[in-house]
Amino acid sequence: MSIVEQYRTKVKELLSSGQVKMVIGYGAGTTPDRRRPLFMRSPEDADKMLLDNACIANLSGYLVSEGLLSDEKRVAIMLRPEGVRSINILAAESQLKAEQIVIVGFDTAGEELRAIEGSEAKDFCALIDSLKESAPLQAPDPLFERIVQMSPQERFNYWQEEFSKCIKCYACRQSCPMCYCRRCIVDSNQPQWINTSSHTLGNFEWNIVRAFHLAGRCVACGNCDRSCPVNIPLRFINRRMGMEVLEVFDHFPGMSESQEPVLASFKKDDPETFIL
Amino acid sequence: MTRILFADKLDNCLERWRSAGISVIGPVKKSNSSGYSAVTKAAEFDFNLVLPERSIKELFFPQSEPLMRYEIKKQEINTSEFKAPTSERIIFGVRPCDAAGLAIDDPLFGWDYQDEYWFQRRRETVLVTIACTKADDFCMCTSLKLTPDSEKGSDILLRPLENNSGWQVEELTDRGREAFKIIADLLQESQEKAAPTAVVEEKFDLEAALAWLKEPENFESHFWKEISMRCIGCGSCTFLCPTCHCFDIQDEGDTYSGIRRKNWDSCSFALFTMHTSGHNPRSTQSARWRQRIMHKFNYFPGKFNLNSCSGCGRCSRQCPVDMGITETLQELSKLLR
Amino acid sequence: MKENSINAQDNIYKPAIMKVVAKHDEAPGVKTLRIEFVDPVEHERFKTTYRTGMFGLYGVYGEGESTFCVASPETRKEYIECTFRQSGRVTSVLANAEIGDLITYRGPYGNRFPIEEFYGKNLLFIAGGIALPPTRSVIWSCLDQREKFGKVTIVYGARTVADLVYKHELDEWMERDDVELVLAVDPGGESPDWKHKVGFVPTVLEQAAPSPDNCIAVLCGPPIMIKFTLIALKKLGFDEKSVYTTLENRMKCGVGKCGRCNVGSVYICKEGPVFTADEVSRMPAADL
Repeated sequence: MSIVEQYRTKVKELLSSGQVKMVIGYGAGTTPDRRRPLFMRSPEDADKMLLDNACIANLSGYLVSEGLLSDEKRVAIMLRPEGVRSINILAAESQLKAEQIVIVGFDTAGEELRAIEGSEAKDFCALIDSLKESAPLQAPDPLFERIVQMSPQERFNYWQEEFSKCIKCYACRQSCPMCYCRRCIVDSNQPQWINTSSHTLGNFEWNIVRAFHLAGRCVACGNCDRSCPVNIPLRFINRRMGMEVLEVFDHFPGMSESQEPVLASFKKDDPETFIL
Repeated sequence: MTRILFADKLDNCLERWRSAGISVIGPVKKSNSSGYSAVTKAAEFDFNLVLPERSIKELFFPQSEPLMRYEIKKQEINTSEFKAPTSERIIFGVRPCDAAGLAIDDPLFGWDYQDEYWFQRRRETVLVTIACTKADDFCMCTSLKLTPDSEKGSDILLRPLENNSGWQVEELTDRGREAFKIIADLLQESQEKAAPTAVVEEKFDLEAALAWLKEPENFESHFWKEISMRCIGCGSCTFLCPTCHCFDIQDEGDTYSGIRRKNWDSCSFALFTMHTSGHNPRSTQSARWRQRIMHKFNYFPGKFNLNSCSGCGRCSRQCPVDMGITETLQELSKLLR
Repeated sequence: MKENSINAQDNIYKPAIMKVVAKHDEAPGVKTLRIEFVDPVEHERFKTTYRTGMFGLYGVYGEGESTFCVASPETRKEYIECTFRQSGRVTSVLANAEIGDLITYRGPYGNRFPIEEFYGKNLLFIAGGIALPPTRSVIWSCLDQREKFGKVTIVYGARTVADLVYKHELDEWMERDDVELVLAVDPGGESPDWKHKVGFVPTVLEQAAPSPDNCIAVLCGPPIMIKFTLIALKKLGFDEKSVYTTLENRMKCGVGKCGRCNVGSVYICKEGPVFTADEVSRMPAADL
C-alpha cells in the first residue's frame, strides 16, 4: 500500500471512530503542481486527500485560528518535522494543548516521501533531536552564503532593495504559525509603534520587527517566504536569526512542549554577549 | 495594410517621447519580482510576462500616498497639500485586464466626490496596451466577458506580430493618437499578420454566479464558511488586484509635524471594520471573504453597473493557499444547478 | 433622503481647521466640544450644506480622524457641536482639547433626516446612552421651529444616572410644556434621589405608550436597544417606514471610496447614516 493510501485509511479511521473532529491535510490545487489545505470532516473527504513532495506548507497555523480547538475536541493534522516543532512551540507558548493534536507525520526530505511513526508531538522527540544535530549542516544556499559574506553596508543595501518591494499585505505574518497574536504590534495604534505605511522605512520597521519576534521561535518551515507575493527571500532573515540563537543559547526551537521559549526565559548562565 | 510599430524602433520611440517630456513605464522584472516600472531603454521591457505580478493600480493609486504635510504651532496649523504629479507619461505594454481594471475604478473614484489623486494621474497617462498571445492557468478575462485583446480602458491597442518583430497599432482614443503622432514617422505600413490572441477558456458561468449572489438568503449561506476555510486573512489578493481600491488614512509624525497618508488597506484584515468599542461587523474571515466577493460582484455592479473584476487572476495566481475569485465563482455557479 | 452634500473643494481629503470655543463634560468619559470654523469660506460651505443627520470626521493632525454625528441642529449653524466618548486614539486627544485649541473637521457628509416630511406630525424621539447626540440634533432642529410639529415626546434612557448626557438640556426639556420627556435608567443605575423611571428603554417606551397615529419616530441607540425597541414600536402599531434611525460604522474617507462602512450594498457614509427601520430591515443583519 502506498503512503497515500495508508494515510487515507488512517484518516478514515480517525474520523469514523470519532477520535478527531477534523483532519487537516492537503488536497489538489488549481494546477497540477499546487496543493491546497484540505479540511476533512467525514471519512469520504479522505478520498480527496493527497500526499506527495508538493505538500510543503506548514498547516499548523490553522490550529490556532478562529477558535478551532476551543471545544476541546481533538484535531488531526498532517505535518512534516518542522510542523511538529511548531506544535511544540505553540504548546510551550500556551496556544494549544499538545494532547489535543493528533499528528499524521510525513517527510519529503531527500525527495522521497516517507511516513513518520507517531501520533502525538512527544513521539517525535528523537527525530527532532537529530534535526538539531544536523541543523548547522543545512544544505548551503548560494544566495544565503552571498548575503552572509556581504559587508554590513552591502547587506543593508540588499535588504533595502528587497524591502522596497514589500506591499505590507502581511501574507508572511498570516501564513506563519508563530504569528498568532490577536492584535499584532503593527496593528496597535496607542501608541503607534510601527508605521503602517508601505514606504521604505515602514517596510523596514515591519520586516525587522517580525524577524525579532521570530528569533528563537522560527522552525524554518518557509511559509512566509513562499507566501510573499513579491518574492522577498524572508527565509534568509529567519534562518540567520535561528543560527544566532542556536549558537549563542544552544537553542533549537520546538524540541518539546516543555522547552522554554528562549527569549522569554532566563537562566543564570545565559551568555550576555549582547550587553555592550 | 496596417500600421506597424517594429520592436527595433522602440528605442527611437522612447527617445522621442522623452524629448517631448513624456516618461515611459512598462512591464519590468527586477529583484525577482515583476511590475510596471520606469523604462529608459527598450531592453528593459519584459514583454514575455503573461502578466506582471504587481498590477498597474499602484501607478494611479500608490500603496502609500502622502496627502498633507502638517505643522502645528501654538494656535496655528499649517498644512501643505501633496498633489499628484502633473507630468505626462505613457505606460507601454499594459495588459488588457489591467487597463480594464482602471476603467472599472473610475466611477468609484469619481462618485460625487472626485479623488484628484486618481484622476490627475488618469488624465496624464496614455495606456498602450498589448493584446495577449499567451495566457496561463489563472487568466480568466473571458469569464468576465472581456477578451485577451479587450480595448476597455486603453488608448492604444497593439497586436503582436506573428514573427514577434513588432506590433500592429490600433489607435483607440484622441489621447492615444496624440501620443502616437510623436512617433508617427517611426511606424511603417505593412502586411505583417498579427499573432492569434491567447485562448482563455471561460472558467465559470458569471451570470449564474451573479444570480446566486443577488439572492438575499444566500448572504448567510454555509457556502461562505466552506469556501473560505483556508483563507489566512492576508491582503495579498486585494493588494495585487487591479480594481481593489480600499484604503486607510494614517498620520505619520508627532504632535508638531508630520504627514497624513492614504495607504492601501484590505477587507481581508480583521481590523478593517473593527469599531473602537471592539464590535466588528465582519469578525470572521468568512464574513470578510464574502464581503470581497459581494463587493466585486454584487454591490459594485449595483452602483456602477460594472463588476469590479477584470479577470487578471492575480488573486488566485499568487494566493498563498490557492484560493481566489475563480474558485469561488466556479463553486457558486455550480450551486444553482 | 437621497440628497447628498457635494464637496466642492479640490482635495476631498483636506479638512477644515476649527477652533474649540466651548467644552462640556457630559458623563464619565463623554465630552462635548463646540467648534467654529476658522476660515469663513469653509463656514459658508458648511452653512449651505449642513442638514440634521449628517456626520463629520473630527480630527487631530498626528493622530487621525474619527467619525461622529453633528450633534448641533440645522437651525444653529454658527458652530458645530460634537459629543463623543473617549475611547480610541483620536478621541483621547480630542477629549483633552482646551478652549482655543485647533482641531480639524471634514464634512458634513451623508444624508439627513427629511424634517420637512415631519411637518404637522407628532414626533417621538427615543435614544439610549451616548446615542442621544444624533437624536438631539433632530430634536433641536424641530424645537427651534416648534410650531411646525404636533406633539413632541422624548424617551431617553441610560445605564446609570451619571451616564445621561446633556443633563442641562434634559432639565430644560423637562420644564417645557410643549415637550413630554420620559427619562429612565437601567435597573440598578438609579441614584437615591432619582425621580424618574427605572427600566430598559423598550419597556419604558411600552409603558409610555405613545400613539402611532400621525407620528414619526426617531430612534438612536446601541444595536441591542434598537433591536428590542423596534419590537416595542411594532407592538405599539408603528409602521417601519415612519421609524428613522442612524447607523454608524468605522469610516476613513467619509465619501464612499475607502470601502469599509458598507452594510451589505449600502454605504453608510453616502446612502446613510439616516435610514428608516424599513430600510434597515432589508439590510443583511449579519453585516451590521
